[in-house]
Amino acid sequence: MEEHELVKRSQKGDEEAFRQLVEKYKSRVFNMALSITRNPETADDIAQESFIKAYFGLPRFKFKSSFGTWLYRITMNLIKDHLRKKERMPKLSIEEVKEKPFDQEDEVKKREDEKTQEERREFVRRFIRTLPEKHQVILTLRDIHEFSYEEISQVLKISPGTVDSRLHRARRMLHKKIEPYLRRRV
Amino acid sequence: MTCKKFEKWILRSLDNRLSQDKQTKLEDHLKSCPDCQERKEEYLTIIGLLKQVKVQETKPYFWERLQVKIKERQSIPFWASAKQWSVRAVPVTLILVLVMTAAIVLFFPTQDAELSQSEALLLRNLNPLEETQLLFNEKLEDQNMILIFSSLEDKDNIRRPLP
Repeated sequence: MEEHELVKRSQKGDEEAFRQLVEKYKSRVFNMALSITRNPETADDIAQESFIKAYFGLPRFKFKSSFGTWLYRITMNLIKDHLRKKERMPKLSIEEVKEKPFDQEDEVKKREDEKTQEERREFVRRFIRTLPEKHQVILTLRDIHEFSYEEISQVLKISPGTVDSRLHRARRMLHKKIEPYLRRRV
Repeated sequence: MTCKKFEKWILRSLDNRLSQDKQTKLEDHLKSCPDCQERKEEYLTIIGLLKQVKVQETKPYFWERLQVKIKERQSIPFWASAKQWSVRAVPVTLILVLVMTAAIVLFFPTQDAELSQSEALLLRNLNPLEETQLLFNEKLEDQNMILIFSSLEDKDNIRRPLP
């Protein structure tokens, strides 16, 4: 069954149609939340809450965008709410990021030997968390989840021009932070 | 053109959002600029690492847990939802009361106080002291009697001192 039809049926209260939509999108919604929050419990809560909001908001969904974009927008708003609440907690500073993996030379060597691809990815992601919220979000959408510029524009409700400039700035900021370690240690 | 400008082009080219013309210019520049070339490699590494996402599975029974939550929300009793709304209703009610009070004060001013007798006479272009002056034409006893009786007629029953 086509997505449009599934949405229409869900709007009429067809539980099976809504279940199919959940099955289709749950992984992407969960991983989107996970890549920003870095906590599987929180990501699961956000994913569940996104679908609950979507379920109760379906009668107001007017097909102005695709169901996916609309759902990601709901998820993104929940992620932003979570980040705002979390802002009250102490932030991970750039110093902490630097010092943890490279506190001693021996440790550095040992770690370099042990480094796997996942560790390198984790290293870059940890630096992302030191960026301002809007830059974290745009990098996650574009470079981790490979959303198109148009999708990002719809999900974040910003113009494609703003997507371009914000993404450019975010990548430059990340590069600037990682640059000193990039060639030697990553 | 500066290397800073080319950096922008590098990032756009990584997203395939650079026109053919600019792409050619960028490639020419990269051939002659090792710094930009290095920068491009670094960006490729960073973005490459970010793209290699290991997709994680959601926690088990995602749909079943979701179903339970939806049913719970659907069956929220009326008083619970009313309680939720009441929290928001308090500031809204306060604002409404303030707005209404302001509107009443601004658009429905209180009626003018009733005119005193002297003011009424003045408004009719009459001398308010005329009666008083007439009083002085009477004999002293009569003056006292008039004052006594006039004070009795007075609503607030305050006796005026005798002259």
